[in-house]
Amino acid sequence: MSKVIQIEQLKKTYHLGKVEVEALRGVSFEINSGDFVSIMGPSGSGKSTLMHIIGCLDYPTEGKYFLSGQDVSKLNDNQLALFRNQKIGFVFQQFNLLPKATILKNVELPLTYNNTHSKNKKRLAVQALEEVGLGDRLKHRPNEISGGQKQRVAIARALINHPSIILADEPTGNLDSKTGGDIMEIIKKLHDDGNTIILVTHEPEIARYGKRIIYLKDGVIDRDEVIV
Amino acid sequence: MILQSLIIALESLWANKMRSVLSMLGIIIGVGAVIAIVSVGTGSTQQVTSRIANLGSNMITVYPRTARGQGGRVSSGSSQEKFSLELADYMEKFCPSIIKVIPVKQVNGRLISGDINVNTTLLGTNLDYADVNNYEVDTGNFISKNDDQERRQVMVLGSQLAKDLFEDANPIGKRIKVNYDGQVYMFDVIGVMKEKGGSMGGDLDDRAYIPLSVSMDKLTNSDFVTSYIAQAASSEKAATAVNELKNFMVKFLNDENEEQFRIISQDEILDTVSSVTATMSIMLGGIAAISLLVGGIGIMNIMLVSVTERTREIGVRKALGARNAHILFQFLMESLNLTSFGGILGIGFGWGAAYFLSQYGNWPMVIAPLSIGLAFGFALFIGIFFGLYPAMKAAKMNPVDALRYE
Repeated sequence: MSKVIQIEQLKKTYHLGKVEVEALRGVSFEINSGDFVSIMGPSGSGKSTLMHIIGCLDYPTEGKYFLSGQDVSKLNDNQLALFRNQKIGFVFQQFNLLPKATILKNVELPLTYNNTHSKNKKRLAVQALEEVGLGDRLKHRPNEISGGQKQRVAIARALINHPSIILADEPTGNLDSKTGGDIMEIIKKLHDDGNTIILVTHEPEIARYGKRIIYLKDGVIDRDEVIV
Repeated sequence: MILQSLIIALESLWANKMRSVLSMLGIIIGVGAVIAIVSVGTGSTQQVTSRIANLGSNMITVYPRTARGQGGRVSSGSSQEKFSLELADYMEKFCPSIIKVIPVKQVNGRLISGDINVNTTLLGTNLDYADVNNYEVDTGNFISKNDDQERRQVMVLGSQLAKDLFEDANPIGKRIKVNYDGQVYMFDVIGVMKEKGGSMGGDLDDRAYIPLSVSMDKLTNSDFVTSYIAQAASSEKAATAVNELKNFMVKFLNDENEEQFRIISQDEILDTVSSVTATMSIMLGGIAAISLLVGGIGIMNIMLVSVTERTREIGVRKALGARNAHILFQFLMESLNLTSFGGILGIGFGWGAAYFLSQYGNWPMVIAPLSIGLAFGFALFIGIFFGLYPAMKAAKMNPVDALRYE
């Protein structure tokens, strides 16, 4: 099985004034294509920092990060933007939809940044929204739909460019447990369809949807368990 | 990429319609003011210059300067006493660029017709005066050669004066009493002039015209005239003619420092008028440009607020693959759209204002394409100049921080 992510001795140090904070202190792991990995840890464990680096939103201070075989730590801003667009589908706790744009426009957004023709853009976006069961809400705006529906829009948006990994950061954090369960079922189904999922959470029952759980503590890997 | 940015920018402006319109207001007013002011400047200048040109082209007037005698009295032998009828003939003879010199003897008197009386200027002159001034008779005749030679007490009325004295009645053939210097003279009205308007040294329509000989020999009993009106051969020769006249007068009056006479040409008046209006235009244009600048600062302010307010949106866009340049262009396009729409609305506004003012001020409406281009170009420039800093601020945002922004 091919390795979609290889991380070697990753370190990240923040400079807050004169204080140096070591958010990551040498983290190494690999993730296979098609895997479903949960990253767990208490707040301050470095899981957000790790997620930002995996998501190509931030640079590591030291160490190597290969995404689909390419060394991300050597990429410039524009190349990182391209990677975010092509290789990564984000699902955020806060949904992060554009409030003034319709749901359709929100889902089309990643296509806007890779010059997809406007006709295809609409077709692909409608298709993605139909897959998450929102084909009848295209013209609605985010404030006109429920939290669960917002997260489904975000999932449709994450999938639209067929990314190498789907990066979900506390996707159920702003949802009640039933809706959260529904969202997790959708994510599980994405995994069943062959997508690689990386789920960042601090809730053990959510983490258990994954096939493997990486526990972070104080910037290093505490445990790495495969769930049978 | 630019097209996408344009579409995104338009969508975002549309989503904030009220704010967009308000921030455009400065640009609308600025551009409108530039166009209206330039239009008013050119329109009124054209009106004034055409009026001056209408007075009769190539006209040069020679006046005696008030002589500075001792004790406030006009000293004997002052220049006024050299402004004789014969001098007009000498001028014609010695100034080759001048084809005609008309002596004018001007007095102020009271005109009485029935129970109406009017104080006005009586201008003693001859037939050529009407010719040179492009001044036409509406009804009746102007003063003829015979009138002058035989010293007939006849009078031609300016259009306004005719109205004042006779209202709608036909003045031709009516008798008018003229009270001058304690004496009463009777004049027959032989003509009324067409409307002409203002001119060098007064409103022609308010005057009465009488034969030169009458005003010199009968009214004032003087051998000297008030002024000469010289006509240059052509407008190109006007400047030469002025010089010839000046040289002649200096020699004739033995007046090296030009203290005893004054020469005023139409060119000179035109120059003065256009320099005054040009100064006004530059001043008002400057004020308009400043209002454009203030509008631009308003745009920058709004854009900075907008960037801060949409920090999270910027983070999301970056997470979804927007490059720094995408964000830069998006915000630059927003400010550019604001100023260009503002510019277009401003052109409409300025056009309307110019039309209204031209109707009000009764001058031709002139919209210079240059002023439109200049104002619009300046608006675009302001959009880029004042939009660049907020756009760069947006583009440089770190995606992680932007996503975390509450």
